[in-house]
Amino acid sequence: MAVGLREFARRTGNGSGTPPVLDESNGEELMHVQPSVAVALGNRSLESPGTLYITSRKLIWLSDVDMAKGYAVDFLSISLHAVSRDPEAYSSPCLYTQIEVEEDEDEEHESDTESTGALDLSKIREMRLVPSDSAQLDTLFDMFCECAELNPEPVEEEEESEHNWVFSADQMVVGGGAEEDGEWPISQSPTSVIGLSVGDEGLAQPMLELHINDQRFDDAEEMVHESETKDH
Amino acid sequence: MLFFSYFKDLVGQEVTVELKNDLAIRGTLHSVDQYLNIKLENTRVVDQDKFPHMLSVRNCFIRGSVVRYVQLPPDGVDVDLLHDAARREARGG
Repeated sequence: MAVGLREFARRTGNGSGTPPVLDESNGEELMHVQPSVAVALGNRSLESPGTLYITSRKLIWLSDVDMAKGYAVDFLSISLHAVSRDPEAYSSPCLYTQIEVEEDEDEEHESDTESTGALDLSKIREMRLVPSDSAQLDTLFDMFCECAELNPEPVEEEEESEHNWVFSADQMVVGGGAEEDGEWPISQSPTSVIGLSVGDEGLAQPMLELHINDQRFDDAEEMVHESETKDH
Repeated sequence: MLFFSYFKDLVGQEVTVELKNDLAIRGTLHSVDQYLNIKLENTRVVDQDKFPHMLSVRNCFIRGSVVRYVQLPPDGVDVDLLHDAARREARGG
């Protein structure tokens, strides 16, 4: 999956109004089609006419007149979306979205897109979708919410089987290759760390495991209602 | 699920959400889901210089993964309670 906005023009047919090609093998489904939608990328002017396709993974805007023109962005990359109706903020009621961009070196803001050179879509941070029927905005907003919920952050499994949670200052592993000092009070008096010597991580592991797995050490005197949170 | 439960209790209160791109939005917490996606109502942008076009937005949906901070009402937090609950959740899961 790509971060940010990108070009997209893969259609199932050649005519206007033909839907985009989806990644059905990966479970991507078409959820909503909104015809007569104009799009404005960053500070650029509105592009229209076009059709908005909302899939379970991304949103796609395809031009109705230029078969080679289209844009797509994964819902994973859409940081925020909102209905904008204030004419002072934008001339037409629209669905405003912010797009997460890959942070490179220190780049300028989207004022770059004003230049006549090649437009770098991956740097676009804001996108507005203007349906000709502004009554559809709330529907689109709700669809975007739904699709965002369908696309939570992918969970990276198994990085470490232990998550290296630290439950108290006593468990801080002192040394262990880190150069910083003075930041953690612990490091200034390593003798106060119970059971651990400087840089000796071998001892830390069994201690953490004991804490996590051995229920005998759990607080027994807690109120019943607190334990409900575990199940949710 | 601790923070999901915690934020559910905050629904209706004023919060300021600061995103990882530095944008800060203040609004009434309308709802939150298990991924800590946040819906705000009556939103206004705190720092209007960076994203001026967002001024007028009334309601918005913020993806949980882009939130850096959620600033809470000062009397909306029992710090010790939250601290203990978080510690318990990390241990027991």
